Amino acid sequence: MDYIKHKVPPVREDRLMACQAYGGTCGDLSNDSKKGCLYASKRTFSQTQGCQLNLSLGMISSMRDAVMVIHSPIGCGGNLIQNAGINKVFQKLRQQSAVGLRWINTNLSEVDVISGGEAKLRQAVLKAEREFRPSAILVFNSCVPALIGDDIDGILDDLQKQVSARIVPIHCEGFKTKIQATAYDSVYHGLIRNLVGEDKSTKPAIIRTPEEELEHQEKISKTVNLLNVGSMSRIDEEELVRLLKALDLNVRILPSYSHPEDFTYAHEAALNVSICATHDDYFVEHFQKLYGIPYVLRTIPIGIANTNKWLRDIAAHFGIEEQAEKLIAAETAELNKAIEPFKAEFKGKTAFLTGGEVRILTTAELLHNLGFEILGLRGYHFDKYGEILLEEYMEDVPNSEKAIFNIGSGQVFEQANLLSKITPDLFVGHIGVNGSAAKQGYPIFPLFGQSDDYLGYKGVYEVATRVSRILRNASFNKNLGKNTRLPYRDSWYEQDPFTYIDDSASIAARIG
Amino acid sequence: MSKVIERPRYVCALGGAIGTIQSLPRAIPILHSSSGCGGNLAGALSGASGYNGGNYCGGQALPSSNVSERDIVFGGEGRLHEQIENTLKVMDGDLYFVVTGCMVEMIGDNVHAVTKRFKDGKLPVLAAETVSFKGNSYYGYELVLETLFREFVEPAPVKDPGTVNLWGVVPMQDVFWKGNLGVLKGLLKKLGFETNTFFGQGETLENLKNSGKASLNIVVSEAYGIEAAKVFEEVHDVPYITLPLPVGDHGTSRFLRTVGKALGVDEIKIEKLIQEERKAYYPYLERLADVYNDLDFQRYATVVGDPNYTQAITRFLSDDLGWLPELIVITDILGEEQKERVLASFGEYESGLRPEIVFDEDASSVVGYINRHWPQNQGQKYYKGFAPGVIIGSVMERDTAEQFKVPLLPVTYPISNRVVLNRAYAGYSGGLTLAEDVLSLVVAHR
Repeated sequence: MDYIKHKVPPVREDRLMACQAYGGTCGDLSNDSKKGCLYASKRTFSQTQGCQLNLSLGMISSMRDAVMVIHSPIGCGGNLIQNAGINKVFQKLRQQSAVGLRWINTNLSEVDVISGGEAKLRQAVLKAEREFRPSAILVFNSCVPALIGDDIDGILDDLQKQVSARIVPIHCEGFKTKIQATAYDSVYHGLIRNLVGEDKSTKPAIIRTPEEELEHQEKISKTVNLLNVGSMSRIDEEELVRLLKALDLNVRILPSYSHPEDFTYAHEAALNVSICATHDDYFVEHFQKLYGIPYVLRTIPIGIANTNKWLRDIAAHFGIEEQAEKLIAAETAELNKAIEPFKAEFKGKTAFLTGGEVRILTTAELLHNLGFEILGLRGYHFDKYGEILLEEYMEDVPNSEKAIFNIGSGQVFEQANLLSKITPDLFVGHIGVNGSAAKQGYPIFPLFGQSDDYLGYKGVYEVATRVSRILRNASFNKNLGKNTRLPYRDSWYEQDPFTYIDDSASIAARIG
Repeated sequence: MSKVIERPRYVCALGGAIGTIQSLPRAIPILHSSSGCGGNLAGALSGASGYNGGNYCGGQALPSSNVSERDIVFGGEGRLHEQIENTLKVMDGDLYFVVTGCMVEMIGDNVHAVTKRFKDGKLPVLAAETVSFKGNSYYGYELVLETLFREFVEPAPVKDPGTVNLWGVVPMQDVFWKGNLGVLKGLLKKLGFETNTFFGQGETLENLKNSGKASLNIVVSEAYGIEAAKVFEEVHDVPYITLPLPVGDHGTSRFLRTVGKALGVDEIKIEKLIQEERKAYYPYLERLADVYNDLDFQRYATVVGDPNYTQAITRFLSDDLGWLPELIVITDILGEEQKERVLASFGEYESGLRPEIVFDEDASSVVGYINRHWPQNQGQKYYKGFAPGVIIGSVMERDTAEQFKVPLLPVTYPISNRVVLNRAYAGYSGGLTLAEDVLSLVVAHR
């Protein structure tokens, strides 16, 4: 992988042949995916979803001491408004002196669309510098400037000479892709090109004595970059740091909630540790290519099996397998004892999960381990990383090949139809689709949370206690189920949930 | 040239249009836009509006053609036709309304040509070009109303003198819209009129369809909904008046007198109603007599937000509560004519107060205006500043309030640190609610 020299990264449809419309079973999906003909399917009726600008902001708007410039008409980035007054709370967990979200919208008007938005972009960046003196200015490019052909990179290169903040262009025009996860590539692309590595033009290089250098290299040899995601809570981070420290490793956490300076020496690390391939493959592969840093990418440490796999992969890199096995044995013995009562409680209960491919497959494994039967999954998209995980999941969970697998971000009409047919005891969902399931009366466990723990061994116990609590009284959602109605015709529920997925192109590809 | 805006308190025309349509009973918006537009706007529409949620059809349930690069090259009309056809099959509504995003405007899709093909079907399919770079949420609200008034409201040559329509309270942008519409409807009922508010509790699409027979349109805003009123007058021959959103006794009594006069209600009847309302209102405020005075509850206030609320709260604080709302920051994008109308709605205070009013869209500017109005302490021993002070604004004023160590009551959009269900600030009852909320802040930390 080597896209870093380009100004703009490729979209995931092209880079990973990612699929965004599918309906079948886990077994079908695994087979069809291996044939590589899923990416061309589409929907003839669709509901809205997020875009890569939206997700880019979700991922990196938490950066401390930074100002975002959204180069767009006034509505883009509108999702930030709901976090405007509250995000500071989460930032403060990482740094007491953090300030809240700050962003500037270039407010492109009809005149700008005709005559170009470049002057406004300049104005916005200079205003960000003048008013806030941030350490970095993150510039997000939207659909309109892309279509009118504003020379974003040219202007920002020029502006970089006038401002002291590091300028980071993030090209994330919504219309370019239906796979929102392309956002991760866009953000990392901008960060790697503009923040990683010391800026020797402004700061003199650090000079070390040979002894200091030896000590420094020793430290680097035990340092890992732990890549977090916007949906990861501070408690999640603390649990993973606890486990990595137990293996005598130093941990640097990037990129959500980081400070721009945290990236300067990000290449001084022995290993990049991802918790999600959907999130990080672009970053870790480029870091390997540019700086020779290897990576761990296979799975997210959710549930016992996947936390063990995650730790073993890391340990194997450092040759400390024995130490890791001891840690795993001690942790799992303690945890298994603690979750024993829940297994009896959850035995025979059923669940349905929806969200990112990596997160739902690992969470499904966790719930299976707690005694649940998994009736179905809905992934936001599906690609080669999902393919590997799905295979491992089907090996770990007996009879899972018959469970439903639906692919599509948003598309809650398909979800509503599916739920009316398979009626699980528990619904586990990504934000954005839980309200819909709630109106059908299901108890709901959110797939992630900014204030809760999901990861590592502690995460397993926390998930078990919360699921137990939620199942104990689902009256709120039951009341909604009885007294509200989703905006679909009764006739819709009688149809096949995948009626509006058009996979004629993939069928043609399969035959051809 | 329009300005760049630091932390805008509104989204685009598309966002305003979606918020407006989804607040109509059983109406289904259909987005003809990039796949991300609806998802991007969802947080602003529901999360930032006191957790207003998506109503019947909002959030990720919104049908959308989800155009992407391929459609943008080849045109999106075919995809829109398919989307409308299938939306009518899947989505259960009584009114379908196509709204557009930037991309489809830039590639020149003719949405009206597409929706026209559905004209003779059983279900109404309307369309408005809510192009985002042409205006913000409020513009989207106007466009939707104009389209409804032109194409959905049925002609009614005979007018009903007992029926009026009322709008100007913008769903979502006024976080308390539903409660406020209910209160205003109730007041007009007491004057003897039936009111269509289109978006309030218990309204139906039938009311909207038959609203052409109203004898007067009341726009409760000096900034928003006025263009739509002109359209209504042109198409259905119903005159309109504009007047400020009322909160508390002084605002609401003015409201009743203005509306009553326009409707030809006998002055004695109006004054009688005002007296009755005051008889219910002041005994509640009377309870504060001791605490207000024993503890010296008068405060300086900075009011930040849209023109509807800033003027309403300023009058309430000045004339009902006897406070000193000396600094008002209006954060909306307004034209010169709008600014003049809005400015005129601040004034004629019983208190004789003359607040400083500034127009500024940037959220972080508020700090500067407070410092300018109440100059900062330069280390002097004797010093008079913004103390005791209160800020009434939005959640975006949280940091500012912290900085000045004053309480903040979020009343104007966005609000994400309160949950709002049926609370209302309009009218006499709304004034009591506002008094409860703002004085609770003052006593909470005793």
